[in-house]
Amino acid sequence: MILARHADALFWVGRYLERTEATVRCLDYAANSIIHLRPDEARIEIEQLVKTLGLESVAAPLGSLGGRRQLFAFLLSDTANPGSVLSAVSAVRERLRSTRERIPIELWEEANGLYLRFREFGDTEIPPEQLHEVLLMVRRACLAISGVLNEGMRRDEGYEFILIGRMIERSVFTVGLLVAGYTDPRDVMDATRMLRLTSSLQAYHRRHGHAPDAEGVVRYLLAGTDLPRSVLSCLLRAEESLRGVGSVADALDGPRRRAGLLRARLELGEITEAMSQEPLPALSELHWDLAEVASEIAAGVVPPLGFPTASSQYLRPGGAPPDADPLPADPSAEPGRSLSPGIDR
Amino acid sequence: MAIVADSLQGSGDALLDCYEPARGFDEAFESDGSARGVYRRIVERFGELDAGEAQRLERLVADEFRRQGITFTVYSEEEGTERIWPMDLFPRLISATEWDELERGLTQRVTALNCFLADLYSGDGAAIADGIVPRWLVVSSRGFERNAMGIEVPHGAHCNIAGIDVVRDAGGRYRVLEDNLRNPSGISYVIENRAAMAKACSWLFYDHATQPVEQYGRMLRSTLESMAPGGKDSPHVVVLTPGIFNAAYFEHAFLARSMGVELVEGRDLVVDGGTVFARTIEGLIAVDVIYRRIDDDFLDPVAFRPDSTLGVPGLLGALRAGTVTVCNAIGNGAADDKAVYPYVPDLIRYYLGDEPIIDNVSTYMMWDPDQRAEALGRLDELVVKPVGESGGYGVLIGPHASDEELETARAAIEADPRNWITQEVVQLSSLPSFTGERLEPRHVDLRPFVLTGERTEVFPGGLTRVAMRRGSLIVNSSAGGGSKDTWVLTPEYS
Repeated sequence: MILARHADALFWVGRYLERTEATVRCLDYAANSIIHLRPDEARIEIEQLVKTLGLESVAAPLGSLGGRRQLFAFLLSDTANPGSVLSAVSAVRERLRSTRERIPIELWEEANGLYLRFREFGDTEIPPEQLHEVLLMVRRACLAISGVLNEGMRRDEGYEFILIGRMIERSVFTVGLLVAGYTDPRDVMDATRMLRLTSSLQAYHRRHGHAPDAEGVVRYLLAGTDLPRSVLSCLLRAEESLRGVGSVADALDGPRRRAGLLRARLELGEITEAMSQEPLPALSELHWDLAEVASEIAAGVVPPLGFPTASSQYLRPGGAPPDADPLPADPSAEPGRSLSPGIDR
Repeated sequence: MAIVADSLQGSGDALLDCYEPARGFDEAFESDGSARGVYRRIVERFGELDAGEAQRLERLVADEFRRQGITFTVYSEEEGTERIWPMDLFPRLISATEWDELERGLTQRVTALNCFLADLYSGDGAAIADGIVPRWLVVSSRGFERNAMGIEVPHGAHCNIAGIDVVRDAGGRYRVLEDNLRNPSGISYVIENRAAMAKACSWLFYDHATQPVEQYGRMLRSTLESMAPGGKDSPHVVVLTPGIFNAAYFEHAFLARSMGVELVEGRDLVVDGGTVFARTIEGLIAVDVIYRRIDDDFLDPVAFRPDSTLGVPGLLGALRAGTVTVCNAIGNGAADDKAVYPYVPDLIRYYLGDEPIIDNVSTYMMWDPDQRAEALGRLDELVVKPVGESGGYGVLIGPHASDEELETARAAIEADPRNWITQEVVQLSSLPSFTGERLEPRHVDLRPFVLTGERTEVFPGGLTRVAMRRGSLIVNSSAGGGSKDTWVLTPEYS
């Protein structure tokens, strides 16, 4: 048995944890790559990273992020940016705090420790010379958290919701990366870049043993069966977890079936086939479908109300409806436009 | 004053050099400067430490608390900040003989208070009818709740978790300072203090055998399960919290985790057809026992404060229908009102036919004209307390107060005598406490916890709170007080 509120919180713990890792990877990549680029190239690279992370609408009011320093501040410690590492770490901590009685103590300690180490910087911008150290600190903490999750957490509904959140977020990031790649104004798909940003370079080399080509990398990131970060692998794991919790929660059967359908389309090569004709619309549709799965899960953890008198009780502060990703009306109308990341308010 | 370090072996330039006992009863040292029996080994151990080592241990404990997020919130601070729970390294020791008396006294007191509450809310009001407590005083209490009239609770146990604040007077005698029968907090810190001490100062335990404390979750769950309506087997128990921004949220989560039950907020519960349900991903699941950590006023917006967003609409109806038990029961504030406190010894005599084992502190009722006149004549010698506050708020210590403060208190008493009591100053006992450089005496109190379901049990030890400033009598954590690990020794080590 798990409270709907706890299921919701742990689903978002999974998403924010994964988002933390993805953003740190982007920062790590940017820290190493941008120094070799001309200013105009660096600006494009920064825009691409922001687009990959689905943060264009958040970054837009800030104008051009210009250089490394602004990018690092925006992605690392800007509390006004819900996609920054600090925001994501804070969100993880807050949700773990509200579910503290049902998670391993070590899980809370790791997340709390990471948050406190971040807060030691106070409101000051993290100096560039400490960037590597800070990124390493976050990566290690994320690995420790993953370790506690894998080895220390009971395989109950709470565990499954964290896992579902992670798998969905990871899929959304990977597809977002590919969408951004197909709309790169430099008109080139940098295969190595995509592999680095998904921590998949070594796996690709071991699997294919040659210099990566863009099409092969896209196929691998989408449907590689030996790659735990491929969209197919993520959907398989999410579907399995959804089957577990869906056995007691009917409302989660819808997203399970939708995830299963996407998984089957990837397995059967339907999506890669569609991409061979028109890659961007096919990817955008996949991106949309993944966001829909996330929305349906978030809605599904709040079961249909048995009686109308209860409905007012589950409204969040401010009367907002349960979390839902902000989605455009028609994803196919504007191919290539990135979807904003789901933000749990 | 004796300089006790001279009497210690191996103390050298250690922490206890120049230790001068404070006024009142020093629990660790005799008046001649020698260590009292149960403290002898601890004093020797601390005598071997220097300030640097003690600072290292203190940092170790603070880091442990910080890492685990063992915090409390002080609302009066602008940031509403979470503070790391402060624990002093020097433990409090209670011998088996002392504890036996305390245990019997606390059991007696809580039993009588439960009798009074059952008599008041679901009995025939015998104590009032027989003039033991004035009716007007009880019904004018802010804690008295008319909505609770007629609601019966299993075993007549209205107060399932009580925190009774006790102090030791100048002669070392235990006295009850105040009863907390609504939502006493602090038990989680008792257990975490022990865990931190065991990690940082395990060597201190080698010479002693202390009663364990980690069984509290089991005891509490057993108590709460015994409160299920109709004696239901394997009842569904939940802990109800106001949420993560509450000062005691850490404790709420701690208790739910140690019992293995869900920590719910008001929005997780819903009432339908007179039954309380939890909202789960499986749908609505009935709840049998709610250990609430929300004040009466906020429990049910239909019956109490309509602006409460923390409670559960319709909960009072479910209580009346007898489908759920709320622990502690609604309306317990009528018995822990400080205006009722002076009558507790009479309630013990009335319900149990025994003399109180633990006395009250001498208290004057400001609504009594004679007592008021006498107290106002020597306000600068007394402690002035508002009857409806807790956590040390509004307390004025006469000997430490300015003329202006005394005048303000005098005017307040004369304007609303029902709202005030005065008490003789109890020179709280003291214990050596680490100041960052050395051990100095600091005043302490003790909050033992008493659980009542089918039977009444006293949890061994309790929360020892310590004033952090020399001479201060204010031990509340919200006023900057700290805490100490409290050891109840087994008989062979007493």
